[in-house]
Amino acid sequence: MTATEFALRTEGVGKRYRKGWALRDCTLALPAGGVIALVGPNGAGKTTLLRMVVGLLAPSTGTVEVLGHDVTASTPQTLSRVGFLAQDHPLYKRFTVAEMLRFGRACNLRFDQGLAERRLAKLGIPLDRRAGTLSGGQQAQVALALALAKRPDLLVLDEPVASLDPLARHEFLQVLMGAVAEGGVTVLFSSHVVHELERVCDHLVVLNHGRVTLTGDIDTLLAEHRLLVGPRTATDLDRSGAVVQAVHSDRHTTLLVRDGGIPAAPGWQAQPVALEDLVLAYLRRPSEPGAALTSGVAA
Amino acid sequence: MTWLIWRQHRTEVCVLGLLVGVFGIALLVLGTQAHDLFPGGSARCAGEAGVSEACAASFRRLDEEYGYVENLLAGFYLLPVVIGAFLGAPLLARELEDGTWQLAWTQAVPRMRWLAAKLAALAGVTVALTGMFTAVITWFRQPFDAWEGRLQYDAFDVEGLVPAAYALFAFGVATAAGAILRRSLPAFGVAFGAFLAARMSVALLARPAYATPLTTMEPVPVGGPKDQAGHPPAPSIADWMIEHGYADTTGRRLSSAEYYDLEAAADRAGTNLNQFLHARGIQQFEVYHPADRFWTFQLIEAALFVAVAAVLLGVVVWRVRRRMI
Repeated sequence: MTATEFALRTEGVGKRYRKGWALRDCTLALPAGGVIALVGPNGAGKTTLLRMVVGLLAPSTGTVEVLGHDVTASTPQTLSRVGFLAQDHPLYKRFTVAEMLRFGRACNLRFDQGLAERRLAKLGIPLDRRAGTLSGGQQAQVALALALAKRPDLLVLDEPVASLDPLARHEFLQVLMGAVAEGGVTVLFSSHVVHELERVCDHLVVLNHGRVTLTGDIDTLLAEHRLLVGPRTATDLDRSGAVVQAVHSDRHTTLLVRDGGIPAAPGWQAQPVALEDLVLAYLRRPSEPGAALTSGVAA
Repeated sequence: MTWLIWRQHRTEVCVLGLLVGVFGIALLVLGTQAHDLFPGGSARCAGEAGVSEACAASFRRLDEEYGYVENLLAGFYLLPVVIGAFLGAPLLARELEDGTWQLAWTQAVPRMRWLAAKLAALAGVTVALTGMFTAVITWFRQPFDAWEGRLQYDAFDVEGLVPAAYALFAFGVATAAGAILRRSLPAFGVAFGAFLAARMSVALLARPAYATPLTTMEPVPVGGPKDQAGHPPAPSIADWMIEHGYADTTGRRLSSAEYYDLEAAADRAGTNLNQFLHARGIQQFEVYHPADRFWTFQLIEAALFVAVAAVLLGVVVWRVRRRMI
């Protein structure tokens, strides 16, 4: 795999259910290597997008290209390059852990049984236990071991830690990051939890109301954005169209601006922005881009 | 895939296998005793029952001693739906219920191959189990059929090709309902209801129309219809009687009201009813399917149910291909 290859490219992807659009005009180009976080509130379309990435769902519009291949083809070769861990890490509850591994071996072209067994042994998960009797954290670990044993080039995880307690969450992320450190795998995971992302992720995609509102390398995004703090003004905020969010207190106005080179006026101070605040600012933006300024002004 | 299918469905297969095995062995044991009543074979005996007292006695004993089993066999008309729906309902519904469809379809086995393997294996088990049990019932019923024919409901519905076709139909309904409802138990219920509705309406409405029935029309004999000698010879007990009644001299069928009027008139006149009817040229008619249409009817009905099953499995394939959820 070359450094310039994209793990995932989508072009104008949309998905319409009977209720309406779950995802619209989603155009992404995510580099291979590293960890990509897909962030958004519940109902933003994260699961829809991830299911389309792994070929469980066909897009209503647009194309999805994973590791250079159209996913709708679903050949054994393309399927075996992508690992998927669905929300709530489903397992066959009545299978033993050993049988789950046998399932993986039976259904895959390459399956590193030894790797999976070593991982599970290290975590103290016995192979003869039924999957349904394991704790939630252990089930997540079995599902992860199964996905990693495929030795995928792209590992997709849907809210992998949402249902786990803090300890299990920590252990899970540790194993996941260990696998990333061993190299060769691009990780794409969704989350509605924003904190701790900075520590784990290289790349960020923010999804809100079925649309991509922000995407980019995290370091670049942080460098591009800054907070401007100045005396309270209610007018003429968006001269350059770069204001993401404006917050007014009694005496001050705080602006989050993108590509905002120098402070707008004397008396204004520039500050770096934290990733969490950046994500929250984009999530608070309304779904219609044209209405950004008026609703962005909070009292 | 073979191992996976076996591992996922072995409980159902074992339970159904046990069910078929236990009832099958019971029928084999009882059937051996029943067959022993006819040392020369029941088919030959049925031909001679009119003349051979030994054969007539054998059939009487068969009815007395094993008639209850024959009546119980009618309960097995539910066996196809039990087998088909039990195997079909969880095929997709359980994966959808537990979310494991996302696991199963993101391994390296493309989902259409996964689906094809599952459908083929479980439909195969459905047909095999139903077929085995049908073979035993068909064999068990030989002496009864020799006497009563195989076109009556109690024989036709549990013999030959149709039980396997019914089972495939139930399998198709249960699988499709499971794909749409995403729950095993409701899917099983839907299959059960659809099975009863389809079986009843086909047996009662469609089956008599598979071929044009034959009609006999004869004047009412003076001796009366209960007189064997005067009974129209064509429909035997092995034929399938659809309808019978009375008609006037022109062949127009009499309504029951008209018949009762005649009966009352005969009463008032104080004459024997049969003589009364005979004198007025009243005829009796019987509409029936001859016994030798058994295999034709079996083929038609089996084809009907297999065709519907194929359509239902087509719906399943379409649902899965279109990517659910």
